[in-house]
Amino acid sequence: MAKRRLGLIVNGRQREAEIDVRLTLAEFLREVLGLTGTKVGCNRGECGSCTVVMDGKAVYSCSIPAVEAAGKTVLTIEGLAEKGGKLHPIQEAFLNEDALQCGFCTPGMIMSAKALLDSNPTPTETEIKTAVGGNLCRCGCFQNIVKAVSVASGKMAAREGSSDG
Amino acid sequence: MGEKRLLVKGSPPAPLDRELTVVGMPLNRRDGLEKVTGQAKYSSDLHMPGMLHGKILRCPHLRARITRIDASRAEILPGVRAVLTKENTKGWRTYWYEIPQIALPECLTYEGQEVAVVAAEDVDTAQRALDLIEIEYETLEPMIDMEEVLKNPPPPCVADEEYPGRDLFDRKPFILRRGDVEKGFGEADLTLEETYTTPTQYHASIQTRACVANWDGQNLIVWDSTQGVWNSKGSLAKSFGLDPDQVRVIVEHLGGGFGSKAWAHRISFFAAKLSMATKRPVKMEQSREEEFLNHPHRYNSKITLRMGAKKDGTLTATYEKVFLNIGAAANRHNYNANGIIWQTSNLYACPNVHLEQIGVFTNLQLTGPTRSPFNMPAIFPLECHMDKMAGALGLDPLEFRLKNYSTYASTHVKAELREKEMKISYSSKKLDECMKKVTEAIGWERRKALSCFCQGPKRKGIGMAAFIAHQGGGIFPNTAHADVSIHPDGSINLYIGVVDIGGGQKTILAMIAAEELGVALDDITLISGDTEGTRYAPSCHSSRCTAEMGPPILQAAAQARQKLFEIAARFLHVTAEELASKNGEIYVRSNPGVSMPVRTICSNIDPDNPIWGSGSREINPEDPIFSSFGAQAVELEVDVETGGIKILRVTAAQDFGKAINPKLCLSQIVGGIVEFGVGFALTEEGIYDAKTGKMLNPNLHQYRLPTSLDVPHVDAFLVESQEPHFAFSARGGAELTNTPTPAAIRNALYNAIGIWLNDLPLTSEKILTALRAKHEER
Repeated sequence: MAKRRLGLIVNGRQREAEIDVRLTLAEFLREVLGLTGTKVGCNRGECGSCTVVMDGKAVYSCSIPAVEAAGKTVLTIEGLAEKGGKLHPIQEAFLNEDALQCGFCTPGMIMSAKALLDSNPTPTETEIKTAVGGNLCRCGCFQNIVKAVSVASGKMAAREGSSDG
Repeated sequence: MGEKRLLVKGSPPAPLDRELTVVGMPLNRRDGLEKVTGQAKYSSDLHMPGMLHGKILRCPHLRARITRIDASRAEILPGVRAVLTKENTKGWRTYWYEIPQIALPECLTYEGQEVAVVAAEDVDTAQRALDLIEIEYETLEPMIDMEEVLKNPPPPCVADEEYPGRDLFDRKPFILRRGDVEKGFGEADLTLEETYTTPTQYHASIQTRACVANWDGQNLIVWDSTQGVWNSKGSLAKSFGLDPDQVRVIVEHLGGGFGSKAWAHRISFFAAKLSMATKRPVKMEQSREEEFLNHPHRYNSKITLRMGAKKDGTLTATYEKVFLNIGAAANRHNYNANGIIWQTSNLYACPNVHLEQIGVFTNLQLTGPTRSPFNMPAIFPLECHMDKMAGALGLDPLEFRLKNYSTYASTHVKAELREKEMKISYSSKKLDECMKKVTEAIGWERRKALSCFCQGPKRKGIGMAAFIAHQGGGIFPNTAHADVSIHPDGSINLYIGVVDIGGGQKTILAMIAAEELGVALDDITLISGDTEGTRYAPSCHSSRCTAEMGPPILQAAAQARQKLFEIAARFLHVTAEELASKNGEIYVRSNPGVSMPVRTICSNIDPDNPIWGSGSREINPEDPIFSSFGAQAVELEVDVETGGIKILRVTAAQDFGKAINPKLCLSQIVGGIVEFGVGFALTEEGIYDAKTGKMLNPNLHQYRLPTSLDVPHVDAFLVESQEPHFAFSARGGAELTNTPTPAAIRNALYNAIGIWLNDLPLTSEKILTALRAKHEER
């Protein structure tokens, strides 16, 4: 089977690997790099649990060949907390607002929220719902998820404000 | 009524006579940090050195016999380490849902049933090996339609010899009767009959089943995705003729279950067998399609209901006939012969009833527990019919329900007592309060005006529904244990063999121990989700975990605390009986100023002899019975041009006793409503080819779960009551929160457009067709 050399940045770190060209980005992250925080629930772009942020956009990593991520910058759930383990405001809000139950969709959900808040720091409720519209949560945590993203948005805006001042 | 005491073996501890400092607090879930950082490991995340990967070849037909199977080409494919077929596994049985079933049979009874299993060095090789297995089938006419099967029962074929649950194959109805139903209808001023149908529903847990099994020649360890490690352990031991001590099952985190993972599931047996054959760890993970096909979904139903009432609204008679499609596998553990008519018998007071339920075995896949399995098909027709009766009588639906309110049960929950009519009390029932609460919160008084609301193509309506459900344990195998240990370094361990399925079990069960010990939640270290180091605990299904584990945890904690008090008594110069503990301090009850930290007392524990406390659950008494109740109201908007429904708001009130952690309890209520409730009402159904019975939508694109854009806002209320039988009054309740949602939606739909729809799901196509028919009538 065909192999190809792949180079990309994952969670701020340059990674190089010789991979089977058939690998999806999700498989590369989970099986080659051991980053199992990214989940796979359907492997055909329906459930969203494999969502990661690639070059600033939320993408289904199960539906992207790993080789297409060459030269790109990928952020996964493992790369979200700050150095020293301090939680990102989105993670903190998910925890405090009980925006998760079984937790399997949570990494993908948080990464969709991260991509949203990076491009739109003060989203409306509808914008939040739309941003996570491709992330299924069978435990039904959406009400708390919307609240958590909104709380995180407020917190990030306040932090932004204080660092400006 | 029996003595109101905590349901434990031996003497129950005295109730804590002090304010609560942990129970009742809206604390964050304890495993949340691992889950939001991606550190939580699910069985599908595991990788072990030397691990093989297993894959399954599945039968594409509903009913067939294997006439030839040849796996020789697969066996010689490089990288293949083992191939299992019926030829080399004769006599081996699995115990999926405790059902003894030939693991790889000659005769197949549902689509997706296993015919061969392969272990190989990687998934790709295993998959290629499946393609090399030569197999020929003789296909048989499948049993699909329930009534057709009853009318013309096909002769049993060889498959039926091994048909799971064939003890129920007699296709005879179970009947509940009281009074004289004919006389009751004779006394009625109004009699109405309708037929209702509900579809199959799939769990669609976001984590598909996955496990890693490792047999080391002596012991079997399975890292699994089951809701009950002890259930799985027992079933695996039985399947392989092992001593249960040789089997260990571990679940660290579980990505959803909703009943589908209630017992050992089929891949666990195959992975274990492959590990035994290869002497290497074997990982198996189901694809999403396999998760749909090889899956115990919710039974579909067809229910005819006839009710009679006097002009003033008093019910005089109820007749019901229930057909339930049991699919291709069930037995008494997952098919309850009166699981629907029991609710009809008990929700409202009615002196004359004749209720019949018949479960029909077909070849339409497997069925089994699905978030509130019987309650949803039971409550949908009943609560729809109550609204139609109220409408015909010119009564308000809320008043009509309260008029026929029943304070006691007429049919007992215990199987051996069910056929007798009785008058038995509930431990508590605050359904009337729930109904009033939700209708008040939704603005029930707007109901009449809303039926005239018309803004362009938009119509609005409000509806309600109530429910009774018997969940919360006291069922097979009627036992549960917990242990607590306290050590000189101040560490406190709680040992419970339960799995946190997302309901927050790791948090709330530890809160019960913390409260009883008088320490903070963070002081408790939990050993759970593992059969090693724990004693038998129930699987987390049927909302039984808190109700069954609460009392033994409380007993174990109280026993350990008492031993700690005996040490403390020496330092505080009082007797142990005079002591109490709270917030990490042990103090003299009559003089709280005299105290010592728990940690300091712990340092005096003999290191060779740590403190142990043990607890065991007593079975439920016959009297009273512990049912849970609730009501919901829905406001929605319908677009009469598109047939689309937008649910604007749901109000929900539940009577579960008391919430150990209201934050997590409210999450359960909201989650059940917006997913299993709204989905069942509006979009979810398994679609099968009419001729072949094959499932046409086994994926998350065509089987439609509610998304963030579909779900309504929910205002949930806890209507709490005292329950001395349970730990801090906490009965079970999480799984049943979706029960009344579909009926409330359907009743609101009537309020909006004046059309009764009796068949779920309420798709826009059905709504448009009904609107057109109504228009043509005019």
